Amino acid sequence: MSGLGKRGSPRRRLVSGIAFLLPNILGFAAFTLVPLVMSFGIAFTDWDTLRHNIFRHETLRFVGFENFSWLFHHPDFLHYLGNTFFLMLGLPFAIAGSLGAALLLTRVSHRPVARRGAFIFATLFLTGSGLLLRMGGMSQVGVWFIFGVLAAVSLVAGVLTGGSVYRTLFYLPNFTAGVATFVLWKKLYNPSGPINAALGPVLDGFASVVRSAPDLFSWGVPLACGVVAAALTLWQLWRLRQHWDDATAGPVSVVSGLLMLAVPVGLQLHWLGLSAVTAVGGPLGVVLIGAVLILKRPRRWGPVCARDAGLSAEIALALGLVPLLTLLAVGVTWGSRLPALAAVGLPAPNWLGDYDWAKPAIMIMGLWAAIGSNNMILYLAGLSNIPPELYEAADMDGASPLQRFWHITWPQLAPVTFFIGVMGVIYGLQGGFEMARVMTKGGPAGSTTTLSYFIYIEGFETGRLGYASAAAWVLFALVFILSLLNFRFGNRSAND
Amino acid sequence: MAETHPPFRKNTAHQAQRSGPWLSLVLVALSLLMIAPFVWMALTSFKTLSESSDPEWMPGAFRWGNYPEVFKIIPFLRFAANSLVIAGWVTVLQVFTSALAAFSFARLEWPGRDRVFFLYLATMMLPGLVTLIPTFQLMVRMDMVDTYLGLVLPAAFGAFGTFLLRQFMLGIPRALDEAAEIDGASKWQIFWDVILPLSRPGLVTLAIFTFMGNFQSFFWPLVMMKTVDKFPLPVGLMFFDTERGQATHLLMAAVTMSVVPLIIIFVLLQKQLIRGIQLGGVKG
Repeated sequence: MSGLGKRGSPRRRLVSGIAFLLPNILGFAAFTLVPLVMSFGIAFTDWDTLRHNIFRHETLRFVGFENFSWLFHHPDFLHYLGNTFFLMLGLPFAIAGSLGAALLLTRVSHRPVARRGAFIFATLFLTGSGLLLRMGGMSQVGVWFIFGVLAAVSLVAGVLTGGSVYRTLFYLPNFTAGVATFVLWKKLYNPSGPINAALGPVLDGFASVVRSAPDLFSWGVPLACGVVAAALTLWQLWRLRQHWDDATAGPVSVVSGLLMLAVPVGLQLHWLGLSAVTAVGGPLGVVLIGAVLILKRPRRWGPVCARDAGLSAEIALALGLVPLLTLLAVGVTWGSRLPALAAVGLPAPNWLGDYDWAKPAIMIMGLWAAIGSNNMILYLAGLSNIPPELYEAADMDGASPLQRFWHITWPQLAPVTFFIGVMGVIYGLQGGFEMARVMTKGGPAGSTTTLSYFIYIEGFETGRLGYASAAAWVLFALVFILSLLNFRFGNRSAND
Repeated sequence: MAETHPPFRKNTAHQAQRSGPWLSLVLVALSLLMIAPFVWMALTSFKTLSESSDPEWMPGAFRWGNYPEVFKIIPFLRFAANSLVIAGWVTVLQVFTSALAAFSFARLEWPGRDRVFFLYLATMMLPGLVTLIPTFQLMVRMDMVDTYLGLVLPAAFGAFGTFLLRQFMLGIPRALDEAAEIDGASKWQIFWDVILPLSRPGLVTLAIFTFMGNFQSFFWPLVMMKTVDKFPLPVGLMFFDTERGQATHLLMAAVTMSVVPLIIIFVLLQKQLIRGIQLGGVKG
């Protein structure tokens, strides 16, 4: 490789190399590096645009770590930090959705049989919708006619394009995501909007089921949720121990696997009335004890431990486990109240106007936008890179579809999942601003104010730049840690 | 790169075996779920004000007049033109400077190159929020608040484009520029006449990503722009929502007009986009 570039003295090569870099690096220095350094400086000052602006020149005061200590003594900041993390509980659902969509998409084939079937279905859809239209008139069933036509068209197009039209349709919400779709969803979430109109009958039906057996629900739901949650927790503990003993997981994997378990437990304790400090500290203590108990077990140190290769699988799994356990914790905490609520009829939530429902509302919208996202595309690529021999071998051993997934697909996709998960958390930490600004103004009562919206408010509305910069650097520290994790443990092939 | 990883290898052994009408039905149902909000959006845009709060999806009659009405209330076309101009300039600058830098990182060999590239790459992880506040103060000092230039410049130089194009250029055979160099071509000629034409798919991908990202960008224009006539579309839409949020039917007409072009662009350009996602392994 004594190619190009190698000619000429090092100095000449340096000059031409830098020359090509210059336009980009100058702009980069002016609009990224300089502000970065400034931001770091500002974080340690009391810069407030009310007192320090182009018209009023009070001297800036260096305040050391005062801004940072304010942040952590500010109950609202911790609340907003909590919101940011809480919203990220939607991430695993989104990832699971992307994986599911990718799995469905890779299964589409375009054999003639399917083609004929699709045409029959399409014709049925169209005639059915047409009949409904004739019977009910435009205003009553017109929308079903439209959906019928759309279904038929996408089905036929799906067959003709070998399924890629579904990929397009899945990806559409992600591609169009922006202020326009947030405005749209704000209207969809209107208390008397289409979502609640569709939800009403479902809730009524469910309420009547609950009313028919109130006792069963009042203790059955919490009990069932509790049992499942306990089983999942024990299974995870058993798995971690097993992996440690088999040297397929290193210390970081074990500790992070345990930390993941602490999240839903901490939330549960907090909901049950413990203070935030106790609710976080208690499970953390248990995690430490558990980690020591597992880590002091004798094990065979395999080469795999050197880079802790189990971590990506661990995090991939935890991504699914954490929100599941959180949902179960919701069931344990509030399941017993169901009959009392159902007695008066379950009301449809006032989504964005309700403190407790605003966050789930944003998560549901996020799910809509995130299922068919780049994550799905990466999963599709990952799936097509799994050697078919693995599946052939599994088939010869008579593996069930579930076994094929659990023992081949999931582990083979673990690097992709890890990458997607870490990137999702990195973006999640910085996210939430647009939704908050457009849909809720951060409310109600700050329940959708995320870190990024807080920085916006402090930096651009209140004008306390020092304070806002300090918050931005807290964010930076979190992102930095995650990036390191990604860099250290991520599979390069997934992000290269 | 793009050629060695075809997006979807079809009919490999494990993929083709299970499929049938149920699969298609599930896919169609999911697709409908995905586009249902858009259907509601389009239908509501034809309603009257009183109909727009009905649970009924269909308008009594299709009122096309809602669309001209939007133009009377907000300068919609002006907003759209602002967005186009801003995103267009960011894209031109970003693609050009990134191509130059990527050429330097991928095709030239100079001392310390890889270390500089690593540092460059590291800044991709930098949360944009950290630099926003000081950048805004810089803009105040440079008197660029409420100007197009102030929107374009901070968005025009980034490490992501360089990274993406470098990945792409690494896949171009070395022999080509060596041959050109033997023929006496200068570095600039190699860049302009050899590498750049061969990188066209990568450039197109980067251009789409950059354009779309900036067409939709919201935070920076929101804090920078004060004059309504200079608002780009996302800020304009939010302005419309704050001013006339109760007029759901008109709001949906405006939203439809902003979303439909995106849908068309996406359907036309999805191949390039998907390649870009796989090349960069990133969120776009």
